[in-house]
Amino acid sequence: MKTPHSDSRSTSLISRRHVLKSCASGFGYLAFAGLAHEAAVARDGGQAPQATHFPVRAKRVIFLCMNGGPSHVDLLDYKPALNQQSGSPSPIGRGRGGAKLLGSPFRFAQRGASGLWMSEVFPELGKQADELCVINSMQTDLPNHSQAFLQMHCGSFQFVRPSVGAWTLYGLGTENTNLPGFVTINPPSDNGGARNYGSGFLPAISQGTRVGTNQIPAFYAAILRKDQEPGPPLKNIENKNLSREQQRAQLDLVRNLNRHKLERDVHHPEIEGAIESFELAFRMQDEVPDVLDLRSESESTFKLYGVGSGLPTDRFGRQCILARRLAEAGVRFIEITAPVGWDHHFLLKDELTKSCLATDRPIAALLTDLKQRGLLHDTLVVWAGEFGRTPYAQSGNGRDHNNKGYSIWMAGGGVKAGLAYGATDEFGYEAVEKPLHIHDWHATILHLLGLDHERLTFNYGGRDFRLTDVYGNVATEILA
Amino acid sequence: MPRVARSCIAWLIVGALLMTSGSPAMAAESSEATAFFESKIRPVLVQHCYQCHSAKAGKSEGGLRLDSRNAIRIGGDRGAAVVPGDSRMSVLLTAISHTDPDLKMPPKKERLPESVINDFKTWIHSGAADPREEDTANAAAPPVTIEAGRKFWAYQKPTAHTAPTTKTADWAKRELDHFILAKLNESGLSPSPDAEPATLLRRLHFDLVGLPPPSDAISAFQKRIETEGLDAALAAETDALLASPQFGERWGRHWLDVARFAESSGKEANISFPYAWRYRDYVLDAVNADLPFDRFLIEQIAGDLLPYDNDAERARLLIATGFLAIGPKNLDEMNPLQFAADIADEQLDTVMRAVMASSVACARCHDHKFDPFSMQDYYALSGVFASTKTYFGTAVSPSNRIGGDPLVLPLGADAPILHPSIGKQRVDQLKTQLASLKTEQQDRLAAAMKARRSGGDAEKEFSIRDALRIFWTSGGIEGQLKKVDESGQALPLAMGVQDQQRIVNSPLLERGEINKPGQRIPRGFPRVIEIAGSPRVPFRQSGRLEFAQWLTHRDHPLTARVMTNRVWRHLLGAGLVRTMDNFGFSGERPSHPELLDTLAVRFLADGWSIKKLVREIVLSRTYRQSSVYREDAFRTDPENRLLWRASKRRLDAEAIRDAMLVVAGELDTARPVGSLVGTMIGDRPISLIGLDPNIPADLDGSKHRSVYLPVLRDRLPDVLDLFDFAEPSLVTGDRETTNVPVQALYLMNSSFVQSRATALADRVQREADSHEQRLRHAFVLCFSRAPDAEESKLAAAFFDQNQVNNDNDPQYRKLLASYCQALLATAEFRNLD
Repeated sequence: MKTPHSDSRSTSLISRRHVLKSCASGFGYLAFAGLAHEAAVARDGGQAPQATHFPVRAKRVIFLCMNGGPSHVDLLDYKPALNQQSGSPSPIGRGRGGAKLLGSPFRFAQRGASGLWMSEVFPELGKQADELCVINSMQTDLPNHSQAFLQMHCGSFQFVRPSVGAWTLYGLGTENTNLPGFVTINPPSDNGGARNYGSGFLPAISQGTRVGTNQIPAFYAAILRKDQEPGPPLKNIENKNLSREQQRAQLDLVRNLNRHKLERDVHHPEIEGAIESFELAFRMQDEVPDVLDLRSESESTFKLYGVGSGLPTDRFGRQCILARRLAEAGVRFIEITAPVGWDHHFLLKDELTKSCLATDRPIAALLTDLKQRGLLHDTLVVWAGEFGRTPYAQSGNGRDHNNKGYSIWMAGGGVKAGLAYGATDEFGYEAVEKPLHIHDWHATILHLLGLDHERLTFNYGGRDFRLTDVYGNVATEILA
Repeated sequence: MPRVARSCIAWLIVGALLMTSGSPAMAAESSEATAFFESKIRPVLVQHCYQCHSAKAGKSEGGLRLDSRNAIRIGGDRGAAVVPGDSRMSVLLTAISHTDPDLKMPPKKERLPESVINDFKTWIHSGAADPREEDTANAAAPPVTIEAGRKFWAYQKPTAHTAPTTKTADWAKRELDHFILAKLNESGLSPSPDAEPATLLRRLHFDLVGLPPPSDAISAFQKRIETEGLDAALAAETDALLASPQFGERWGRHWLDVARFAESSGKEANISFPYAWRYRDYVLDAVNADLPFDRFLIEQIAGDLLPYDNDAERARLLIATGFLAIGPKNLDEMNPLQFAADIADEQLDTVMRAVMASSVACARCHDHKFDPFSMQDYYALSGVFASTKTYFGTAVSPSNRIGGDPLVLPLGADAPILHPSIGKQRVDQLKTQLASLKTEQQDRLAAAMKARRSGGDAEKEFSIRDALRIFWTSGGIEGQLKKVDESGQALPLAMGVQDQQRIVNSPLLERGEINKPGQRIPRGFPRVIEIAGSPRVPFRQSGRLEFAQWLTHRDHPLTARVMTNRVWRHLLGAGLVRTMDNFGFSGERPSHPELLDTLAVRFLADGWSIKKLVREIVLSRTYRQSSVYREDAFRTDPENRLLWRASKRRLDAEAIRDAMLVVAGELDTARPVGSLVGTMIGDRPISLIGLDPNIPADLDGSKHRSVYLPVLRDRLPDVLDLFDFAEPSLVTGDRETTNVPVQALYLMNSSFVQSRATALADRVQREADSHEQRLRHAFVLCFSRAPDAEESKLAAAFFDQNQVNNDNDPQYRKLLASYCQALLATAEFRNLD
């Protein structure tokens, strides 16, 4: 019989035991023997690196989140038939009978040795075509932002579930205990807000730490002329009253009192844990601002990412550099929500161009930079929005939401580079070839991380839960 | 930019709900027709189709099952497989005829013989007689049968057991001690000695009221022990704490964990619930009044259906039903039927987990895999909630598309109102505005229809922008009007439920999918628990009252046990059944089954009094034990399942914060009116509150008890979020305890903790004259004990000796505050021995 918080990763038991015996953050073997698995998770936070089910292809994930639903038929899914029949009544979807097909206002070309079709609004990313695995047959359940955004992150929108980043951290533990193992940079405050990086019923330690403040929903941001909340990049990381020396003296007193108490109690894991976590916190105070501080980056790096005052790429470029720094520092799952909109119901040509202009160079730079630093081969970079857009027009010059077929791409850690996987119909409305549902996509991401989506479970309220619920097939064809 | 698009327009323009018809009464079918089915049709279905389309095979490819009359007519993803009398509309015929290249059945096989296809044509044409009863037989038989289920311990009525006789005759103080001691002895263990009085007093105060004992209470307690003995001293202290209003603030919060109390909708469109705080106060008051637990449950589930004498009582009973209304909601759901089904599901699941520690919700989509709950049980109960209207009081806005009515309380109750009146003139203005929006919508719609008919551009007449503007603006106005009466006077509003106008039985939804309704299931309660004499569901009411009566019936096997276990857990660190919210087959078995049953029976006999149950446990010898580590016992029972000592426990988030306010001398023990949500946040999307400079970034900034902090889903106040507060979207009987660096960062650097440290330093400076006395005083305030020699040495060493006697030196004050913060940050401050 399983305890409520037991997990079924029997393979990880040995490594956890080993870690608990040997590493400084653990307690003695005797203590371990007495602890339910549950307690081990609670006390070491399930943070120690875990053994995996499969060989690890990717050690970490950088998720470039494109909030709003980028138009796949204007970016990655080339549809000549759509261009040819532009203006004629749409034979497909909800547009059937009323709306008209809208050809892409952008030119497509085959890029790189792999010949991937890409839009002209991705000039820089096009140079990285041979690194990309483009999936043109994505599907999600609903064409509505909030549900689709939550489903992309948590698999389910109907129920409260842990996010994919939390599952990753729960499954793999962290590589650097001085930093949070799951970081999300400037997440949106709507579409489920913190739920999208929450831990649900998983141990709280696996939840994402927000760096930077929340982005304000685009609708309100336009009216209020404020697109993010005020506030420091990370809460409570700085002490305004005490110098580092004064604080060290204070923490020495805390530590000595704690040790004294521990001596009296003989065995008290909570106090051992507290001693350890204060030391970690003290080190975090140094390490986190260092990681967040981009001043040590070179001029050429800034140039590569398009960082510079007044440049359209400045903000996202900084976020991408930060993502790379966090990856280098051993953060397991890093998410960046691009500070641009993709919800182009109107004025698609102008607005999509702007969003691409702000993100194309930084993303290409991130791939280049990761490769140069030897990180790309074991870092899975993912570019995805919550859905795509309709091939038929809305408001004359925009496109509506489309969940039946859309495109994302992945690169690095274990995916086949230069591949276009799956396909939509001739207009780009519905995935007809090798459809890949969010559940399949999640299963594939976990697989790349060495985790079996069917075995990575957590028992809550009597049932073993998975990221993929009862669904999900790994897209084996995209594995390198 | 709009977040809703065409789908929303279609929905709001059409607006009408499609209600499914009730189950068709099976027409009498001639015996010839049945014989034809049996000889020509059934064998073909069994041989060629059941493999992929039957419950028995466990497969319903394409959402289709062909193994019952109902299933074949409901059909699958492509629609009805068989439409009696209409072979053209019967997809089954298309499939077996191979006329559609995309749909050839059986798959990858030769077409069935022409004669067989003709048989099917004949059969469908003549009415598709089908004697195969609806598969409730299948649905009704969970993998764990009801018969097997009834034999399981949790579904059998608890009976009191005679306490075992124990060797150490003078150890036991209460009946429960005999059970504990007997088990310890069986394992060759002995109990621990009584804890030190100061330790015990601290434990008792935190456990009962969530606050540290006042510094003068310790010596008074010790004096009383000397004169009257420990038993009498403990009893007196316990009774005083049980009678204090702080008891409800502590124990009410335990119930709020279970009730997944929150003041916002959570999920995708997180919208605040500005009236939720009334339910919070109701719970705290009920616990303080020691409302019998059965009555407490009945009020929360069916308060609206109970008789009342006056407006105040009516208001109280309506507010109680907030229990059902405060759950998380998908306020951006596009399909109103789905929204209603999700609400019913959430309510049903919450009640079952909270009261029975059972999960029935799995049976929404399939028979429960572990527990004796079938889909039929689920949909029988679902009808009770589907017949209930939930009042949650959110207005449509650009963040959410679902508005909900608030519940208006009787005016005579004089309930405080936190939103402003707007005056008659403004009401009229709003009404005019609303009417003109309605007219505009109709006009534009008519123009659009006309344009479409004449081949013009319909979108020009009624664009998406227009539709959204009208939808959002109208929603906002309707929301404002619901908050006031005709004259613009603010109304007292609450969250809660009432019976629907239309009482319904829910259809069994295949795989839980809203567009796959099957046979309607008569309302009722899970059949594994049969209670003789429990009232039946009435025809003209939802059945909530009867459900509540069934749950609280004296013969109900779970309700008293589950609550007894919850109380036990809060006093002894772990439940007798450790899986607090799961008493099912997959849950853990009780460590002391006879004890759990005996206590549960006693709880009933004591009139479901929570206070009496708490008193019984804290006055036991078991509770009184020291928590000191004993290696021999630890080797035998490292998890302390047998309770050879008191468990060491980390304090809850609220107790940690409250204790800081107490020792700093700053706690405001008065109950604030409302909460930050009611007073300041109002009804706005939670995604925007970070922009309001008047709302504290840590959502704290209060000196009231933590139970009154705002509880926003996915946006908790920092201190609650960091110290393992109960996830407010889930029923939580057992909070977890984590020990992570972000907690340390909060204790080191947050403005809340630094302010408390400064206040504590000021206090000790005020209340004690010498430096040494101050250090000692801070220690006593924080830990309810004096420092030992080593600790005094460490404390003294922290200070620069040159400054210690200079009260006015700002450096001294700063150092004293730093010292005080160190004490607040020690593990001992937030842990109980």
